[in-house]
Amino acid sequence: MKVNLHPKEGLLFNAFMLAFIINSVQVGVGLAGLPRVVYLEAKHDAWISVFLAGIIVSVVLVFMIQMLKQYDSADLYGIHVDIFGKWAGHSLNVLYMIYMTSTFFIILMNYVEIVQVWIFPTLPTWQLSLVLILLVIYAVYGGIRVVVGVAFFSVVGTIWLAVVIFVPLQFGDFTHLFPIMNANVKQLLMGAHSTTLSMLGFEIIMFVYPFVKEKQKAMFFVQMGNLVTTLIFTFATLISIVFFASNSLEKTIWPVLSMFKIVRLPNLERFEFIAVSFWMLIILPNMCFYLWAASKGFSRILRRKQKWGVWIIAIAAFAGSFFIKTRYQMNTMTDLVAKLGFYFAFCYPVLLAMIVFVKKWYKRRESKHAETS
Amino acid sequence: MFKWLSGKKAEETPKAHSLDLEELKEQLKTELNVGTDLVFRTMKRDGEKLIFCLMSSLIDSTRLDDIVIRSILNNKDIEWTCESIAKVLPMISITAVNQLNEVVAGINEGKVYIYAEGQPYGILADVEKTIQRGLEKAETESLVYGPKISFTESLQGNMNILRHNIKDEDFCAEDLTVGKRSKTKAKLIYIKGIADEETIQTFRQRVKDLDLDYVPGTTVLGQYIESDSWSVFPQLMTTELPDRISIALYRGKVAVLLDRSPDCLYGPTSFFSFFESTEDVYMRWNMGLFLRMLRLVATFFSVLLTPAYVAVLTYHYEVIPSPLLLSLGESRARVPFPPVMEALLLEFVIELLREAGARLPTKVGQTMGIVGGIVIGQAAVEAGFTSNILIIIIALSALGSFTTPSYLMGTAIRIIRFPIILMAGLWGGIGIMLCFCYFIIHLLKLETIGGPYLTPVYPIRLKDIGYSFFKLPPQYLSFRPLTNRTDDQERFSKKKAKQKKDVDE
Repeated sequence: MKVNLHPKEGLLFNAFMLAFIINSVQVGVGLAGLPRVVYLEAKHDAWISVFLAGIIVSVVLVFMIQMLKQYDSADLYGIHVDIFGKWAGHSLNVLYMIYMTSTFFIILMNYVEIVQVWIFPTLPTWQLSLVLILLVIYAVYGGIRVVVGVAFFSVVGTIWLAVVIFVPLQFGDFTHLFPIMNANVKQLLMGAHSTTLSMLGFEIIMFVYPFVKEKQKAMFFVQMGNLVTTLIFTFATLISIVFFASNSLEKTIWPVLSMFKIVRLPNLERFEFIAVSFWMLIILPNMCFYLWAASKGFSRILRRKQKWGVWIIAIAAFAGSFFIKTRYQMNTMTDLVAKLGFYFAFCYPVLLAMIVFVKKWYKRRESKHAETS
Repeated sequence: MFKWLSGKKAEETPKAHSLDLEELKEQLKTELNVGTDLVFRTMKRDGEKLIFCLMSSLIDSTRLDDIVIRSILNNKDIEWTCESIAKVLPMISITAVNQLNEVVAGINEGKVYIYAEGQPYGILADVEKTIQRGLEKAETESLVYGPKISFTESLQGNMNILRHNIKDEDFCAEDLTVGKRSKTKAKLIYIKGIADEETIQTFRQRVKDLDLDYVPGTTVLGQYIESDSWSVFPQLMTTELPDRISIALYRGKVAVLLDRSPDCLYGPTSFFSFFESTEDVYMRWNMGLFLRMLRLVATFFSVLLTPAYVAVLTYHYEVIPSPLLLSLGESRARVPFPPVMEALLLEFVIELLREAGARLPTKVGQTMGIVGGIVIGQAAVEAGFTSNILIIIIALSALGSFTTPSYLMGTAIRIIRFPIILMAGLWGGIGIMLCFCYFIIHLLKLETIGGPYLTPVYPIRLKDIGYSFFKLPPQYLSFRPLTNRTDDQERFSKKKAKQKKDVDE
């Protein structure tokens, strides 16, 4: 397998699009429940935790981009093989594919659950998940160009929801925020840790990087994307803290969706129905990118057509949807994936970057050594 | 084993026709089985024989009599040989041929074959008569403002109009033939130095590669050369307005004219260019911008309104504020159907009216509109078939879909409404959103002559948005649209346009 991936000229997209990609993949089902999970850890300083998490993500992104820059045009699959050799590298690749498949699955199941809770309590899980999976397959079949397009339209089509979220502020009580920095560092870090599931998605950069046209600009736009995400998350958390009373926020599973209830237009009430529907456009790029990146592994590792990978993962995810029946299982699965994500997206890439730096440094030294002697 | 079956028959080797007049006649008669349409006129002079072979339905008989036959009769002292006859014919297009297939093709195109017995070859003289209607106002793309002349069915005439619009030395019109059997003439039109070479090549290649017996018109040609034939959305635009073509050519597009077709096909055309009207160009920019936005919003609501009604009334009535819900409930109280049925029924009626109106002559068509709009609408509500509010919504969305300047795109928009209504009836807001996501992905996948379909929105070309999505004041449009990858990028000097006459002068 080649380490570097050189896609056709027509498949490349502008670095500018990376901002949309990172933003759209990060914003997903996690956001709906984000304020509560952070609040449980960091109490009314939760918004600081979220912001902190954003900063951590941006540091991790620096590591990732620097690691990718060591190569000409490689993705994580290639880097693994380059660093660890064929067998160990491929095993890691397969692990990563499994991680991405399970993230794909969790996003899907969480959205189906939201729909069932908020709109159609009797809707069978398999129906909606089947249709959503087919939709995502249709998009992924179009290749990276279409998937990036979905990310773009997702951001453009749902950014107005970020404005709507400020509406509940008029009913807010800002005293909820004080005293600021009441939580200790450990609580803040625990809060930041609990944002993992929402923040996940930025690791996709390690797979789309070969398709970026102006690679030197990648860092800037990736950081921009993350910045927007962090701001949206921080404000959503802040507004939730201001809006909800302490004990009611702890009991509201999807505070962001609950807040939409308050939005009222002359001809529309109960805005959350629209918000939940629109949430589909928000999660669509997440699912597309995870499916695309995971199935890309098939063509990279097994040298089969990517279509095979798409179908295998899709069928696995669809089959998996039959095993989750209760809220309890759902919670366990989500926590598991969040934990996986913490290691796979936060810790591991930093570690790998270190290894890559050392290896490159060693190689450079060696070649210099060879020249002088 | 069956190789001989799949193998093509050996091409007939061209052969010279018979030198004997009677045999020539027989040969032509067997080749062109057209009965009395094929006319022979033989002249004799001192044992010499001269024959005129022609297709009476294709030729202009006055031209034949006045020019060809008269000039031969008047010049009595000339020899009846090919050269000398050619000398006396006061015509431009004369060709000397002797192959039977060339003669047959010539006669078929409306030429007269003049042959003196015993000569090695004869003359084909063009006396073709084309049936052509006069220039008329554009019908399908009617305009309030701007030039109204429209193309006709004659390729010659259409080229004439275009040529008069564009007196550019770089204006190119390549000859193409479409249809293996019908051999319809076509022209590939572009402006050299502006149009992208790759786009031209794609067009040329796709038209040339067509292996069809007959193509009825440019709209059909468009369907054959576009990339995705399964899609409901048209990917190439046809228009009957010559000025639209001129504008497009100067933006770097490529056009195809087909003989006997009153529309011109051009591309690459993105999704949003189907919502452009030439009026936007002729009007002041702010008016144009307003109208274009109006059209886009109308289209959006045309697709969304009815499904939203169905979704809200079937599943999410909480969304409606209580005062509005009361009046809605009141008007729907007598309706026995679920909202999906009601909406589909009424949409069906509207489509019926539109179709019936289009098929009937104008005078009866107007009556149809009145009967449909007032009588059926009113009666349907009174009979308790539908609610008043749905009638308003359906009428609005029908109006919205008719604002699209391109008839094909308008039809596409009306058609995609039906699956969305069905999904709205099935899954409410989720169903509508599913359809929207599907259409976004679908539009992302489409392409028009190799270019992206959703440009300039995706891939985003901020500069081009002033061309096809919004409309900017003319001094800001000093460049040609980037998406067309034009060779000559600048239309006029940007600097000059920005010069202002103000106090600093």
